[in-house]
Amino acid sequence: MKVVTGVVGNDIHVVANRLIDLSLQARGYEVFNLGVNTYLEEFFDAVVETGADILLISSLNGEAEGWGREVPRLKAKYKKLDDIIMMIGGNLVVGTGNAEDIIPRYKGYGFDIVCHQVDLNTGLDSLEEMLKERNLK
Amino acid sequence: MSQINSPDDSSNNSQEKLLIDVGSTYFKLSNKTNIEQHFRDFNKSILDDLTHKCGQEIERFDKKNIHICSSANGGLSTLIIGVTHSFSLKYATNIAFNSGINIIDTILFQNIEEYSVPSDLIDVVIIVGGINSNSDNFSEDLYRYLDNLTYSNVVFVGSELDVPTIKENIENVVVLPNIIDDRLHIVEDSLKAYLTNLYQQDIEGKEDIKDLYNITDNQIFSTPYVVNKTLPFIHTKYAVVNPFVLLDIGGATTDIHYSKDLVDENIVTENEYDRLVFKKLGVYKSKQSLIFAAKNNEFVYELLMHLKVTENIFEEQSNKATKVLMQLAIFLVLCKISHYKKAYVNLKLLSVNSFVLTGGITKVLTVEEIENIISFFYKKILNSDHNPATVLDNNYDIWTLGAEVEGKELCQ
Repeated sequence: MKVVTGVVGNDIHVVANRLIDLSLQARGYEVFNLGVNTYLEEFFDAVVETGADILLISSLNGEAEGWGREVPRLKAKYKKLDDIIMMIGGNLVVGTGNAEDIIPRYKGYGFDIVCHQVDLNTGLDSLEEMLKERNLK
Repeated sequence: MSQINSPDDSSNNSQEKLLIDVGSTYFKLSNKTNIEQHFRDFNKSILDDLTHKCGQEIERFDKKNIHICSSANGGLSTLIIGVTHSFSLKYATNIAFNSGINIIDTILFQNIEEYSVPSDLIDVVIIVGGINSNSDNFSEDLYRYLDNLTYSNVVFVGSELDVPTIKENIENVVVLPNIIDDRLHIVEDSLKAYLTNLYQQDIEGKEDIKDLYNITDNQIFSTPYVVNKTLPFIHTKYAVVNPFVLLDIGGATTDIHYSKDLVDENIVTENEYDRLVFKKLGVYKSKQSLIFAAKNNEFVYELLMHLKVTENIFEEQSNKATKVLMQLAIFLVLCKISHYKKAYVNLKLLSVNSFVLTGGITKVLTVEEIENIISFFYKKILNSDHNPATVLDNNYDIWTLGAEVEGKELCQ
């Protein structure tokens, strides 16, 4: 199963990005890592070029909030992204915030799985569960 | 015109090379000691004009020692159909520019039905999309569009899983290796070689340029291709500090060559310098479209005030008018490569250390006049006092060096 991943916006958290890449590979995914400083359009474009099933965006500096708002508008421009599983994880707000507020907000942006300050393996476990629910794994 | 060697020197000419550059407005000749430039007579063929004005000089050289490059054949018109802007279209466009192709239009495949079909003949259509493990990147919409399009060549450089369907549906399609590898990186070689060959065939097919093979045994290259080859060696001629931008403002088009450090790209190539062409931006053949672009730029009237002239200068035929036109061309080109008017690239202009100017512009403007415009641009558009060095290639050293490099490579 193919996953496109990367760190969104002007965020250079390369270590976290590498850990996500390695963890996904260890779980048997084919990973297309766009690295840090990735713009939203590049994520969607990479999904189109690779035929990926999953888009996993990470963010640590909180910039995801701004980019997240752009997701519905941008995704609507694409004609082949309806079946993709969209996941976002990391630190999803600037400053402090609680998951009860943050998760519904990001789901409203179109993300299927939202992991705010959740450890990596727990987050990837929830991805596995969703794949099973959808009979994709 | 510069001095020509005395006939007594001719006995030593067996290895000396004569370099000729044919532009849309001027042609230049360079030997070991001199360089000369002539305005083209458009009532004559290029060869007739060249031999009429420089016949004596040309006769001094053996055909194998004459190297010609040209930007006067108009270039190939190219239409690229790709599945995304960030990868397929960007990569194919990059390769096409670096293969000497000037005229490029792009179509995002998913919206292909919204694009009008060009009425002019397209020299080459490039279809690209998907890594090799991804299939069904294209559909009937592509074939319907191509049915209505007039083109001479069509090449597919996308996913290998799509090749059978593409071959089945597109007659005479040339299939080359995918230009996107499995890590989403660019693979240039095959498409670049294909396009460069097409460019050569195009030159050979155009009578005016084809005639030039009467005076040379060597392949005629495109001038921007030759200039691009020079850039890694530019420090041998000038104190140019990387990253730099080279502007070649010609009579019909403007070429930009820039250090890759000036772009945030995910394109990984061996070439350190990229090239970009602005068609219809020149000071002679494209003068009217240059003026049109200028009048549509909100800062141009301020620039004219800064230069202490009015827009009436556009109607004048004088040295002063030519100077202003060239200064405008510099300003418009900088706007086009900045965030202000993004056209294909948005260079990090605050990181530029040097601007190098080559071509006819160096014969008309002084360093001070060019710096004046560059500084105006930085203040008005970028709100910055950044002051990159300006280098004028006023003896065509860049082109000479490039032609020599090319000549040596061919001799090896």
